[in-house]
Amino acid sequence: MSPAIEMEGVGKKYWHLTEQAMLLKSILPGAAPKKEERWALRDVDLVVDTGETVGVIGHNGAGKTTLLRMLAGVSRPSEGHIRVRGRVAPLISVGVGFHQEMTGRENVLVNGMLLGLTRREVASRFDEIVAFSELEEFIDTPVKFYSSGMYMRLGFSVAVHTSPEILLVDEVLAVGDGSFQLKCFDRMRSMQADGTTVLLVSHSIHAIRLLCSRAVLVHHGRIDFDGTAELAISRHHELMSTPVGGGSVDGSGPLAGSAQEPWISVTSRSLAGETGPTHHLQPGERATYSVRLRFNERVDHPRFVFGVTSEDGTACYVMQTRVGLEWRSFAAADELEVDVDLSTTLGGGTYRFTLTATDRFGRQTYLHDVGGLVVYVTPRLGSAGIADLDAHIKASGDDLTAHEPLLIEGKASSPGRLGDAG
Amino acid sequence: MADGRAPAPVLDLTPAADSYRLWWTELRRHAGVLLVLARKDFQTRYKRASLGVAWAVAVPVLQGAVMAVIFTRVVRSGTGSGYVIYVMGGVAAYSYFASVLGTSVTSIVDGAALTDKVWFPRVILVVVPSLSNLVGLVVSVVVLVALMPAFGVDYSVRLLLLVPAIGLLAALVTSLGLVVSALQVYFRDVRFIVQAALMVWMYLTPVIYPIGFLHRLRIVAIANPLTGPVSLFHMATVGSRGLWVAPLVVSLSVTAILLVVGAEVQRRYDRLFVDLL
Repeated sequence: MSPAIEMEGVGKKYWHLTEQAMLLKSILPGAAPKKEERWALRDVDLVVDTGETVGVIGHNGAGKTTLLRMLAGVSRPSEGHIRVRGRVAPLISVGVGFHQEMTGRENVLVNGMLLGLTRREVASRFDEIVAFSELEEFIDTPVKFYSSGMYMRLGFSVAVHTSPEILLVDEVLAVGDGSFQLKCFDRMRSMQADGTTVLLVSHSIHAIRLLCSRAVLVHHGRIDFDGTAELAISRHHELMSTPVGGGSVDGSGPLAGSAQEPWISVTSRSLAGETGPTHHLQPGERATYSVRLRFNERVDHPRFVFGVTSEDGTACYVMQTRVGLEWRSFAAADELEVDVDLSTTLGGGTYRFTLTATDRFGRQTYLHDVGGLVVYVTPRLGSAGIADLDAHIKASGDDLTAHEPLLIEGKASSPGRLGDAG
Repeated sequence: MADGRAPAPVLDLTPAADSYRLWWTELRRHAGVLLVLARKDFQTRYKRASLGVAWAVAVPVLQGAVMAVIFTRVVRSGTGSGYVIYVMGGVAAYSYFASVLGTSVTSIVDGAALTDKVWFPRVILVVVPSLSNLVGLVVSVVVLVALMPAFGVDYSVRLLLLVPAIGLLAALVTSLGLVVSALQVYFRDVRFIVQAALMVWMYLTPVIYPIGFLHRLRIVAIANPLTGPVSLFHMATVGSRGLWVAPLVVSLSVTAILLVVGAEVQRRYDRLFVDLL
């Protein structure tokens, strides 16, 4: 069977105008607006087999959306060749493809037809579409009165009911309430099981991990990595944690010398797991986060706060040293190592370990190491989420705990143990 | 996911524009979308107004009546009893032209949200206003014809000319729309140029007065491609008032040229517009 998506040496060039072109200026000789070319994507080779689900990850502006646009046929590549076999349904972020003045009902018709259904086909699936979106009450309301969640629900619902052969998903799961998100996940999984090819662009590493066995990392317009989702995610975090222009290898925040910390600077950060220095932790592993500090000025009785934040900024854990104890004072040029012993009860994902130092009342901040160290926790097989509760599911005495990735049957290739990617 | 439908389309994209053949095939494949969009456009325009579609008729009729009063009572140009019908026909044609062109110039830019992720030939967006406004035009023409005896104008076989008149008018404005809507994507000042042009254009066209009225500017009116279809409207209703063959030839040729240029621009830039929206 021929692959659903083939991209060969694809590049997309944009003209970046320093100002909006003006008719007069472009007609007058010598007054043409300045423009410079920018490659949003370059040398992209990608083959996606029919029935495969591939995640696309990368930082903002890496070229992910440009990639999807070209696959949807909306934008033409500047070089290379793209071939897409099958009916494509783009699942799009909030509110695109809807006509503001039209009601939900009318938009379902137009949207369905744009996605390749005939009027009759839309009519026959209409009830199903509305039921799935849970918008029965609002279906005759113009969509301009919809909330972003309602918008997305209707859009998603139409797209999945057009029985596309290829589903292009762009950040669509970012909106909508939790229960609808779960419903979408379920629906996408059943479509995967039915052999729909899915290309999922997402910032949500959880979504990628749940739905994709393979992922592609787009970095500065090029495909940096193409392989198992776990390795791609790991590589993504590696790139994110490397400051632009190289330099620090072990963390993301600036170290001493690169930024002036008035009171205290960080000279090094490291993490040691059960098998030695690492950036990757296994669930349940004991580890020590060590930060070496240098005092630039006299500091009395500092208090330290250790924090863990997830990739989306959620504070997962915060812990501070004892309060009120007049511990000791430091003079300028003193050095200190702070070790945080911890147990990895975090779920799979990327986290930042940070350290803050304040005076003993918490009024004055001496050190705020926001960047901290980026730590990657390998998910426990069969589980997902922010915490690792080491749960076991038992039924009639049998331990039914999964020992395979949380992925659709038959499509998952075991990510295995995490090695060093890239 | 075999559901017995037509075989899956294959999308082949290279830096070269789609061939005419492919472009035309896609256009035909999306004809249903065009009709639905045009209908919705018409409905949404009048749906939330209490008088609904009546406005589509009321506006040109009212405009015609006002013009007729001004020119027969105030200016006393003395163009005869059929003058009210003459003005109403001209105004109906011109308001169709103006409202279609005014909408279609920004149709690609305004339709950005609709075509950002799902592709369909963008020409459809440009053609939608030509189609949706056609309803209003046809209704006002019907009203106009119904009013003819009341103003002492007899029916004649010339009324059949209304069909080619409407056809030519729609073809002209659509072809022009193809060109200006593409320009608007690149040069955002085009719509203001169009707006300004629409204000002047009416007076260079025999909408409310015959060509002769323009004296030395006659040549402009003859070279004006809009004169052709508007004269046909007058021909069909009140009979010939001055030149009409030359303007018709001009109009047909300009339409043909604009259509070729516009279609070529749209075909070539179809999947590139998005980069500038």
